Amino acid sequence: MQLEADTAGLRRRLIAASCALLSAATARSEETSVPEKLGRLLENWQIQSAVAYYHEDGRIQAIEPVVSAARETSDGGKIDLNFTFDSLSGSSPNGASPSRAAQTFASPSAKSFDAARHTYTVGPGRLPVDPNYSDARAAGGANWTFNLSRLTQATVGGKFSYEDDFYSATVNASIDHSFNDKNTTVSLGVSSENDFLQPIGGAPVPLSDYTLFEKGGHKSKRGEGLLLGLTQVMTRSWLTQANVSLDRFSGYLNDPYKIISVIDGTGNPVSYVYENRPDSRTRRSAYLENRVAWQRSSVALSLRYMTDTWGVRSDTAQVRLRWWNAARDQYLEPSVRWYRQSAADFYRPWIVNNEAQGPDASADSRLAAFHALTYGVKYGIKLNDRLGWFAREGTEFNLRLEYYQQTIQDGPAGPGALSGLNLYPGLKAILFQFGFSY
Amino acid sequence: MLARTTDAPLVSPLVMEERDGVFAVRFSAMAGPCELLLHTTDRASALESGAIAAGEAWRIEKKYSRYRQDSVTARINGRTGSVLLVDEETASLLDFAKQCFELSEGLFDITSGVLRRAWKFDGSDRVPDAAAVECLLPLVGFDKLYRDGTFLMIPDGMEIDFGGIGKEYAVDRAYDLLMARCPVPFLVNFGGDLRASRPLPHGPWKVAIERPDSDRSAAMMLDVEYGALATSGDSHRFLLKNGIRYGHVLDPRTGWPVQGSPRSVTVAASSCTEAGLLSTMAMLKGSQARQFLEEQQVRFWLL
Amino acid sequence: MIGCVIALSTVFCSACSSLGVKPWQRELLSRQDMRLDGNGLDDAIDDHVYFSKEASSGGRSFAGGGCGCN
Repeated sequence: MQLEADTAGLRRRLIAASCALLSAATARSEETSVPEKLGRLLENWQIQSAVAYYHEDGRIQAIEPVVSAARETSDGGKIDLNFTFDSLSGSSPNGASPSRAAQTFASPSAKSFDAARHTYTVGPGRLPVDPNYSDARAAGGANWTFNLSRLTQATVGGKFSYEDDFYSATVNASIDHSFNDKNTTVSLGVSSENDFLQPIGGAPVPLSDYTLFEKGGHKSKRGEGLLLGLTQVMTRSWLTQANVSLDRFSGYLNDPYKIISVIDGTGNPVSYVYENRPDSRTRRSAYLENRVAWQRSSVALSLRYMTDTWGVRSDTAQVRLRWWNAARDQYLEPSVRWYRQSAADFYRPWIVNNEAQGPDASADSRLAAFHALTYGVKYGIKLNDRLGWFAREGTEFNLRLEYYQQTIQDGPAGPGALSGLNLYPGLKAILFQFGFSY
Repeated sequence: MLARTTDAPLVSPLVMEERDGVFAVRFSAMAGPCELLLHTTDRASALESGAIAAGEAWRIEKKYSRYRQDSVTARINGRTGSVLLVDEETASLLDFAKQCFELSEGLFDITSGVLRRAWKFDGSDRVPDAAAVECLLPLVGFDKLYRDGTFLMIPDGMEIDFGGIGKEYAVDRAYDLLMARCPVPFLVNFGGDLRASRPLPHGPWKVAIERPDSDRSAAMMLDVEYGALATSGDSHRFLLKNGIRYGHVLDPRTGWPVQGSPRSVTVAASSCTEAGLLSTMAMLKGSQARQFLEEQQVRFWLL
Repeated sequence: MIGCVIALSTVFCSACSSLGVKPWQRELLSRQDMRLDGNGLDDAIDDHVYFSKEASSGGRSFAGGGCGCN
């Protein structure tokens, strides 16, 4: 009858459960091969890796493998390590403006036009870019998080970056304190960065004539940052974080390779000068992030407002939506990012040669006023049982594709010969990334 | 083909004794006397088998004992509130604990250990007041754990304890390791939870099950041919107040001791894990223990 | 505009000491896509691209790029 069927069911299910437990254990104990030993060695580590390929239309392309490994420590803390390598090549704008005539430039390592290993000529109406741009960078970082008390955690860490003309070392420390049943966490962080520049060919004398090749020496800059954060669990499915930060960089903040076209009243270039930026920059930003989850999906919305003493103000808004399939072993994650910045006070797409000139000027388009939009989509698939012994729940393969477009609107109209030229072509780039997590 | 042996260090010496063609290899593990009985004349291979059984017992004890600071259990309980990666053995034990939780409708719950904070079974009359127990109840409940395969998150304030299934699991694991390499009849006995591979040539294994009364000498003798036995008892830990005996078996759904539990339940089943779970569930059923065990159609002994 | 939204939200958050959930109600929040660092590697790669193409950086974490690309 019903009761007997139920109780027989209980014992049968119990036998099945015990068998499952014990046969799994037996299967594990019979593993002796090298791959399984490797799996056991990595047991406490969570590893994420990705290779990103970045390609700008007609400009730079880069390939960037990244790997990070995280492990818990026995006292409830965490160690994480990361390493990045990137290799860039292609054409990089040198800051000069297009002109109706062809223009010839020398590469950064040049001491004179005659001895220049590379000179390059840019056709009429084209944005001057150095086609021999290449750079390789290796960088790594580590962070160690440990408990100061049941509700307080501290993190210390550092990172370094190495390129042949730039070295950087940063240390950071932060404290997080939770209360209100760990629903609220406040954090305070500080960081200190020291950078050493050894520009190829030497650092140029600012605003000096480009053809004089007045270059030499190396430079440094440093930065200090302060970050205050508040994380709050709002509901079972909604989490908020708000940060405010302050940082100040000082020292050599110029780009040693960027020049500015000096034009006469008719709009033709008469010379070029190296740029100069102020020797300090203080930045304040406010950041807000919200994550909301429901059954199969979650959305992350973040906003950032930044302002600095160079006169740049920016707004950023990003939305990411993750949608899981029914079995929660695959997901799709479309995202959109909108960005807008105002120009730096000393941004000058060109200098007119008979006008009064302040001490700072840069034609770097990254200091111009522009809008940028990024559209992205990511696909991930969890590999749990598909790879058998090797896979764990966190094992995942993913692909990401992003399209980034920068548009400079309302750039100052060029006088004379510059009018009618496309002075602000903006930027279009795609990013393709595939990743593997374990 | 040798099954993989553990590399747990020798915790106690292995004591060998031989009588009537049966080697007994004895050692201490899981807070009690353990032994491996083998019907063989080969002393060296008996010792080797004993080392395998002891090694597995110590490995599991080291890994899951609540009392050891370096155990997986201590690590999990020390990191509440954050998501952890657990190894596959722990994940499969958690899967098993979940099925037991569901099969027993919440009676068998490895998160019920927090109730120890209110209940101290020292033979005195200090029964906790209802409020103390009440405020611990929200921290009990296997369904409150968050699991995603090998990821686990234990909410703050909760804890897990594999003590209810650890010893029986160790018996079955030692049994499986020995079955793969031991051609002779053997019996693994970890403090009363035991499993036999097959009977001795001249008859069944004779095992003594301790009776819960103070008279320890009157043990119950059982004949074991195949399969496993597991015993649950509450004889030594209790509180006595106003004539009411509060046994140490707590119902995780109410936080209070189960009423009318037998002093001891011994169950026979094909695996020690199964037998152990049935005996534990019988104890949790209190006065319904006998009826429950009869419904399961298993051999059992109540004391 | 965005600055105002952030300021108001921060004031709102600081008054929310009664908000939150019990420890055993955090299963959704511990899901990987709900963790604030859940997009770790993607954020690191994106931040590097934006640091080298724009004049802003940081917000979620420290602003220094640590690289020579800007």
